[in-house]
Amino acid sequence: MSKPSDLIQGTLDLMILRTISAGPKHGWAIARHIEGVSQEVLQVTQGALYPALHRLEQQGWIRAAWRKTETGREAKFYELTKAGRAQLDRELAQWERLSRAVGLVVRMGDAQ
Amino acid sequence: MTPRRGWDILRLRLRSLARRQRVEDELEKELRFHLEQQIEVNLAAGMNPGEARLAALRRLGGVPQIQEECRDMRRNAHIENFGRDLRYALRALGASPSFTVVIVLTLALAIGANSAIFSVIDGVLLRPLPYPDAGRIARVFLHSADYPKFPLNPFDFRDFRDRLQSFESLAGFTRGDLQLSGTGQPEHFTAFQVTAGYFGVLGLGPARGREFNRNDEIPGNGQSVILSDRLWRDRFASDPHILGRKITLDSQPFIVAGVMPPDTEHPGNAYHGVAHGQTVDIWWPFAFRGDPNQRGSHYLEVIGRLKPGVRAAQAQAEMNALIAQMGRERPGALEGWHALVVPLYREIVGPRQRLLWVLLGAVGLVLLIACANAANLLLARATARRREIAVRAALGAGRGRLVRQMLTESLLISTLGAGMGMLIAAAGVRALVAFLPADFPRAETIHLNAAVLAFTACMALATGILFGLAPALQAARSDLHHSLREGGRGSTGGLRALRLRQALLVGEVSLACILLIGAALMLRSFVNLLRTDPGFRPEHLLTASVSLPPRVYKPKDTVRFWDTLAESLNSAAGIRAAGIGTDLPWTGYDDNIGGFLIEGKKPTGPEDFHARYHVASPDYFRAVGIPLVRGRFFTAGDNIKAPPVMIINQSMARHYWPNEDAVGKRVSFDDHPKESDWMRIVGVVGDVKDRPDSPEAQNALWWAIGQTPVFVGQMSVVIRGASDPRLLANALRREVRRLDPSLAVADIRPMDDIADANVSTPRFALFLVSLFASLALLLAAIGIYGVVSYAVGQRTHEFGLRLALGAQPGDVRRLVLNQGMKLALAGVALGLAGALALERVLWSLLYQVSTADPLTFATVSVIAISIAALACYLPARRATLADPAHTLRSE
Repeated sequence: MSKPSDLIQGTLDLMILRTISAGPKHGWAIARHIEGVSQEVLQVTQGALYPALHRLEQQGWIRAAWRKTETGREAKFYELTKAGRAQLDRELAQWERLSRAVGLVVRMGDAQ
Repeated sequence: MTPRRGWDILRLRLRSLARRQRVEDELEKELRFHLEQQIEVNLAAGMNPGEARLAALRRLGGVPQIQEECRDMRRNAHIENFGRDLRYALRALGASPSFTVVIVLTLALAIGANSAIFSVIDGVLLRPLPYPDAGRIARVFLHSADYPKFPLNPFDFRDFRDRLQSFESLAGFTRGDLQLSGTGQPEHFTAFQVTAGYFGVLGLGPARGREFNRNDEIPGNGQSVILSDRLWRDRFASDPHILGRKITLDSQPFIVAGVMPPDTEHPGNAYHGVAHGQTVDIWWPFAFRGDPNQRGSHYLEVIGRLKPGVRAAQAQAEMNALIAQMGRERPGALEGWHALVVPLYREIVGPRQRLLWVLLGAVGLVLLIACANAANLLLARATARRREIAVRAALGAGRGRLVRQMLTESLLISTLGAGMGMLIAAAGVRALVAFLPADFPRAETIHLNAAVLAFTACMALATGILFGLAPALQAARSDLHHSLREGGRGSTGGLRALRLRQALLVGEVSLACILLIGAALMLRSFVNLLRTDPGFRPEHLLTASVSLPPRVYKPKDTVRFWDTLAESLNSAAGIRAAGIGTDLPWTGYDDNIGGFLIEGKKPTGPEDFHARYHVASPDYFRAVGIPLVRGRFFTAGDNIKAPPVMIINQSMARHYWPNEDAVGKRVSFDDHPKESDWMRIVGVVGDVKDRPDSPEAQNALWWAIGQTPVFVGQMSVVIRGASDPRLLANALRREVRRLDPSLAVADIRPMDDIADANVSTPRFALFLVSLFASLALLLAAIGIYGVVSYAVGQRTHEFGLRLALGAQPGDVRRLVLNQGMKLALAGVALGLAGALALERVLWSLLYQVSTADPLTFATVSVIAISIAALACYLPARRATLADPAHTLRSE
């Protein structure tokens, strides 16, 4: 998969933030989680994940640390910072608004 | 964005800048981990190893692309851009060195002057006083219609101490100098008598030993003494067993009870004042002697520590209520007096606060002018660089980038200026402190420190933005199309830019005028001060002080001692006149006597009859040079056997005998005088004001030394010679030693020095304000010159055409001069109006000059206009040199 033009950047950020809000995860686990939970509908280009992670880290919304996985391998785990949690709340609210608005428009189209 | 978050982001960016390699390595490791995980999953799904690897790579996408994208995400665009801007700015400044030098130098001067003045303000006004919790320390005075700040009677003080609730502790102190003899040359030390817990009020404690307690206040208890660290080191060789040691002060035995730590600072006092600082060497207990019902004499100064949360005004209200209460208990007690509680900080620095803020204001104006100048020069250059900026814009630089680029340049200039300014300030502060008036409070705390550095850094930032913003916005707004086509020649470059530059110039000239007027008013005031007749003759006059220990000298002995000393001095070679008196002119004085009787007159109020009182020997007035107006001076015959006499000054004569001859009138200091209690006025002498800038002289009277009703242990000796008075010091020392070898001769100073110290504050202010005003004038001249010569440069072509078409050089010159002078005149007019509006700022610093002094305003206008004309003339002359042939050829 190449750069997902339909998957706008902000949405990817939101999904990443939401995914690690439950607890620290490494990149591969994040990708698997997004694919799994969306029942494989959202097949994130796995590669697109990493620039997004770096950007979020530069913004100070997430932080990374090297830890051992259950299988004893070294992996880079990402977790939310305080600022990241606030950002997630903001983006969630915005998403709710947006999807409600889109839903309204789509249903209005039905009514006509 | 909160500052905290901003900081976090900055930190992360810096980290990725600094640890680029490590970040790259980590990314690689992370991606490898990802791939291996995916491969495992693929293997588990039944692929063979080769397939599994290929599928995983496909799933992930191209690794180098991901790495590049990650790099993009981390890209420190701001920081990298800043680096580029900085390099570009350095190149641009290097390309026009003379422009750079002028701007940086003027800014450095202005910023340096600001930093230097700020360091004085920081040391004197902003730094807390050197006492723990100093905000709670307050001075306590009495206050009446005639006496703004009056000391307390000791017994009144004791009542206040027992009954006031607002104070955690209250202590009294009064000057009581001592002579240390026994070990070598007798020496005079500044000393204070203090009540129990005095140091506790200040929040200080002895480094060794104990401080005084109430036991020490009881007369007759063994005298103890606390020494300053300096005295302990210098005179007692830091003796570790000093406590309990017996020392002889004023020919009496004292036991050393304590030594204060080195940084003990005297809080300053008014009555026989000693300045704030490490000025006191000995403290000894104040004992409550005498009859508690006789409360007429007021000489105890009071200081207190307020309870936490209590304000000075509340304490004052409580004390006023207590005064009223005490008046009910003992009718007549403290009648006419009110309480005055002043925070110590205000008492110490209050009088100089205004001066310092005026100086900061003046130097701030200089900085504004320097900024206007810099903005003007940058604007001119921005116009010249229009083409370059347009090219950059055409190549895709956004407006934001252009503004940032220009601001980087101006901030670079202001930072360079601030850096040099710091050097100037370092030298300036040392000069300032050396030049400060001797009695300036807290001079020793003035240093360049972190606060001054921070102030300078803020100034660099503020000035950089202030003078850089206008040119930056101007550049960003410029019309790309127009600029490129026009090719940077011909027109005078944007009407709006021109207007802005003209406005800056007018503002600059007006600010310089305000400063010039301030300086001129101060100069006039200073000249007035010097020209005012002091009322005595300070030249060729030596002053000194000698004190007689009260335990050794009975009142009769003191009179004999002073008589003998005066007599022997008067017969010594080289001495024209020698006198002895309680006081010297202009050294601070506030001993008043009130409530006396004047024969045949009734006082109009409880405090109506009052005067400064002094004691003088027969030749005192002749020696000091105070003229006799009527009657006679004292003579040797005015002794204890003769009828009591006194001398008064002209003020007192005018006050109580406005249309009569005061000589021959009688005054008594006894409530129910017998015939022998009346003192006859035998002479009227000229007025001497308390200070040269006091509005008028106070009433004053003198008793003859041979008839003095009070014990006078400490006296000033005045000796008039024919030349340098310092040469007389040895004769004085010799005579004193001959009479009593245990006595010290202290405070030997020519009267000229005292007179000089009295005008040192206005001279200090005058010097600085003149310096700033000249700087301002110079900057404004540079500004005018810069703007006019730039305009001439832009219009060379036009002038060439005019000359080619037959205009006379004079016409062209007039054209340029007119343009520049119009701006200068507007600036001067604005400046005069501004100075009038600011009169209240200066008023209290001036002496006998109106803040709207017409002569000053006229002179300043003439000076400013002439300088402006000169600054316009030079470029105007250049305009006439435009070569018509050259112009026509280039067309």
